[in-house]
Amino acid sequence: MALLEVEGLHVAYGKVEAVKGISLSVGAGQVVTLIGANGAGKTTTLRTISGLLGPSAGTVGFDGRPLAGVPAHEIVAMGLSHAPEGRRIFPRMTIEENLLLGAFLRRDAGVAADVKRVYDLFPVLGERRSQAAGTLSGGEQQMLAMGRALMCRPKMIMLDEPSMGLSPIVTQLIMSTIADLRSEGITILLVEQNAQAALTLADHGHVMETGRITLSGTGPDLLTNEAVRKAYLGED
Amino acid sequence: MTLTELLQLTTGGVVLGAMYGLIAVGYTMVYGIVQLINFAHGEIFMLGAFGALFVYAWVPALHEISLWLALPIMLAAGTVISVVAAVAAERFAYRPLRGAPRLAPLITAIGLAIVLQQLIFLYAPLRELRDDRWETTVGAKQPQLFPQLPGEALQLGGVTVQWADVLTLGFAVVAMLGLAYFVRRTRTGRAMQAAAQDPDIARLMGIDVDKIIVIAFAIGGALAAAAGLAHGLRYGQITFDMGFIAGLKAFTAAVLGGIGNVYGAMLGGIVLGVVESLAAGGLSYVDAVQQFGGGAWKDVWAFVVLILVLLIRPRGLLGERTGDRA
Amino acid sequence: MSGAGARRAIVPAPAAGRGTVARALVTAGAAVSAGSTFLPWTWTASFPGDLTVAGYPGGNQVITLVVALVMLAYCGAAYGLPGLRALAPRGATPALRALALALAVSTGYVLAAIAITLGGLVNWVPGSWVAAVAVLLTLLAALALPDDRRDAPPPAPGPRWRETLVVFAVLLGGLVLADYGLATEHTEQFIGYVLALGFAVRGLGVSGLPAVISALIARNRVATSVAALCAGLAFAVIQTSGAYTSLAANVLIFGAVALGLNIVVGLSGLLDLGYVAFLGVGAYAGALVSGSTFSRFTGTPLPFWAAVLIGIAVAVLAGVVIGAPTLRVRGDYLAIVTLGFGEIFRIVVNNLDGVSGPQLTNGPNGIPNIPDLVIFGYDFGEEHTVLGVTFGRFTNYYLLLVLVIAVMVFVFARVGDSRIGRAWVAIREDEVAAQAMGVNTFRLKLLAFALGAAMAGLAGTVQAHVTTTVTPDQYQFLSTAPPNSAFLLAAVVLGGMGTITGPLLGGALLFVIPEKLEFFEDKQLLLFGLTLILMMRLRPEGIVPNRRRQLEFHEEEIAGREGRAVAGVGA
Repeated sequence: MALLEVEGLHVAYGKVEAVKGISLSVGAGQVVTLIGANGAGKTTTLRTISGLLGPSAGTVGFDGRPLAGVPAHEIVAMGLSHAPEGRRIFPRMTIEENLLLGAFLRRDAGVAADVKRVYDLFPVLGERRSQAAGTLSGGEQQMLAMGRALMCRPKMIMLDEPSMGLSPIVTQLIMSTIADLRSEGITILLVEQNAQAALTLADHGHVMETGRITLSGTGPDLLTNEAVRKAYLGED
Repeated sequence: MTLTELLQLTTGGVVLGAMYGLIAVGYTMVYGIVQLINFAHGEIFMLGAFGALFVYAWVPALHEISLWLALPIMLAAGTVISVVAAVAAERFAYRPLRGAPRLAPLITAIGLAIVLQQLIFLYAPLRELRDDRWETTVGAKQPQLFPQLPGEALQLGGVTVQWADVLTLGFAVVAMLGLAYFVRRTRTGRAMQAAAQDPDIARLMGIDVDKIIVIAFAIGGALAAAAGLAHGLRYGQITFDMGFIAGLKAFTAAVLGGIGNVYGAMLGGIVLGVVESLAAGGLSYVDAVQQFGGGAWKDVWAFVVLILVLLIRPRGLLGERTGDRA
Repeated sequence: MSGAGARRAIVPAPAAGRGTVARALVTAGAAVSAGSTFLPWTWTASFPGDLTVAGYPGGNQVITLVVALVMLAYCGAAYGLPGLRALAPRGATPALRALALALAVSTGYVLAAIAITLGGLVNWVPGSWVAAVAVLLTLLAALALPDDRRDAPPPAPGPRWRETLVVFAVLLGGLVLADYGLATEHTEQFIGYVLALGFAVRGLGVSGLPAVISALIARNRVATSVAALCAGLAFAVIQTSGAYTSLAANVLIFGAVALGLNIVVGLSGLLDLGYVAFLGVGAYAGALVSGSTFSRFTGTPLPFWAAVLIGIAVAVLAGVVIGAPTLRVRGDYLAIVTLGFGEIFRIVVNNLDGVSGPQLTNGPNGIPNIPDLVIFGYDFGEEHTVLGVTFGRFTNYYLLLVLVIAVMVFVFARVGDSRIGRAWVAIREDEVAAQAMGVNTFRLKLLAFALGAAMAGLAGTVQAHVTTTVTPDQYQFLSTAPPNSAFLLAAVVLGGMGTITGPLLGGALLFVIPEKLEFFEDKQLLLFGLTLILMMRLRPEGIVPNRRRQLEFHEEEIAGREGRAVAGVGA
């Protein structure tokens, strides 16, 4: 039984259907990536899984429980964390306050230790812990968003375009952090436009085009697939 | 104008402003999270005053004791009716419209304000002392007399301060200290800040934003009830439509202080109260504009302040928000 | 919506020949209902409207008769009679059902009222029993009709002269209906009228007729405008009672102001909660230069055109003073600033009495004795007889107001369809995006606000003469007497934002209903508030929806459900 099961999911904005029946599953400990161009419906898929949007048809199951009708904040409580597109950190709060909000649902004593763990992972955040998060650079904000998503000790984390707008060096740092998380056994659903980096990390990949999954396979398979290379890796 | 007179006017303005501020907190908190001008909030204030009056009128035991001792019960009753009304409004009128075009909740709020006013006007269960006998009437069609605090007014260096004024200031101080503690130190307070900055992401943190919104309405209702009680004690009578102008002033105070900022709401209220009081009182000392002083014009000056703030500092005194959130 | 699933009757009946039987029964029922109106329904004339006469229908019977006749026409459509089929482009059954309901509810209401107010069923005479049985039978038979809903292709445009005739017929029919409603003499009749009209309009709506008519109107805009103007003017000829023309003149003032507000609220999405103050500004300006002996500027009145210009100019000035600081900032602030302005206007006018402030407006007493208008020697206060038709004082003003509204409709339609109008819509839908496209949003919003103020100022200068007295209390945020800001806003919102007919219709309803239903008494405002809340829940786009608006409100949009528990999906 996979940790996350998506079956025949449809999502519509008004009359416009953004996701037109996709199915995918993510097994515990796996890294699964969803690649595709802008507007393919990747972000909509993630927002629906985490309960911010309601599907028009289809089911989502997490950890053996159906998510239909479960509000977003309870889905987080089940151990599914979501670092959204565009970071969306709380700009007028400090870095530490942002991290503490990530642990909002936890009442155990380990929160302080986990904050420290995030600072170890991203030392730059530790140095600026009492600075307003809005003053951070794009890469630092991404680190904060990832750190914040980890603070609830999730079973699974969904990352929406973590490399968006970042320099190659920072992208590399983010990707290697994702690899670290994977080796710690955290399940990851990664949405990326940077197909090369994402597929290199992933056990399994799906290509999304205009609301549908058009191609699926293991990471290495997709990396060598000709259509993928043409469309997403910039080769002729 | 002597210094004493100036101080007297200023004191009156501060007290008036504290009352505005207590109401303004409700506007600003709700606006901060759901971007809704809750027009019915003035009526929540009115309901608080009537709730306090109801319990006083219908519980004869309260007439036997000093009004000071009856106050906590009156405040509690006012708070209950205000909070219930505010929370019910959120649950049944506003929540179903979340995500609808902006005009829909605004118009609902206007409808709600009218309904609440008319319910009190038509059906308020009242008891009045007439010729030493308590008589029951239905509907607040006349101004209702409000019990008065006993005791001589305080004299502080020539400035007269009524006990009701002291009480109003006391409510304001307690409310602001409580709010500061709540926002900074409690989990719910932090969640409220998060929800105000980005409700979607707050949900992803595990925050039940709907619950936070209900809490914002409830806190606003409770403070408005305190203001309602203070209003009754200060002016000696309450009316079914007292929430209209008070609500307008309080919203002005919230804008003046920087909407979304609870400290700003109180600061804005006090500034507005002082300006109003000084303009009304002060202008009557100046021959050329003597006619424009006095109570008849004070609302006009409050409005002029609002226009000036929008011209000069649209973000408000303590406003921090830089732009509209989409 | 065709297909086997949709072809179901609500009342089950033997399958074979069910349609034929039900259709025949409906036709017979409607015919008997129509016939019953020629019998007396009660024995005493003490029931309002005198329903005791045999031989011709009276009072509420007329309503029953008309509905029954319309039903018979739709029965004809159901039988596929060639001329009548056009009445029900999308199927006759839904229309027949709704009409049968209209017939049953409005007739049943009267019969029940007879029994209750006169004390018991003994007051029913054979005619009442016939009517009761007939409408009940009609209703049951209509419910047993098989569904014949079908998709209708838009009918091909006919010859121009025929379309023009249809447009005239439709608008004159509307005029007769409106006139009948306005002139209903007692509450029972008005309620019967409203019930019948409400259900019947719904019935025609599902028959697909309105879509055809609105397409027709869209094709023949000039003819429609002329026909509407004729219908408006014709009212003055057919309605001569002073009380009703006075009511009609006031409805027009209200409608004109609502139309002006619709530029601000409906077209550009700016919420103005103090709009009546602009009407007040215009009215006071008009009153001050009217030559009233109580005005500070007594003496010869200014000519009407000059008064109108002054009224407009002062209103626009006020609009700019209020709008310029406010429209730069967040949209919601405008609501509260205009609300404040409405209140401040009243306070200022109250205070400018020579005691609390300089003398200008006589304070609470207002400016009475405003003389009647005289335009080109035509004294509006006098009766005039033209071609045997007498025009009383209110009819004169009514005619003037029809012209004023015609001007406003012209401005509204032209501006709405122009570059500016499209920019307003863009601002309303997404201000940031509009700005990004190079629209100077501040200037355009100010223009909308000022244009709205000008419209109200214009209406105000006329209103001052119609009411002959202006007082501060006429211009409040909320009172039981329209026009006030809350009622104006309601007229726009309930009628239909961004449309021309919406605010006129909404205004008429809001004005006429309280006038006709005295038993509301002091509960009028409570019901008004509840109506606002319920409308926003159930039909936020108003009675006459603007197509674009309807999309906005009825997208089953995700944004609306965002982040809330969305139940029932595949669970």
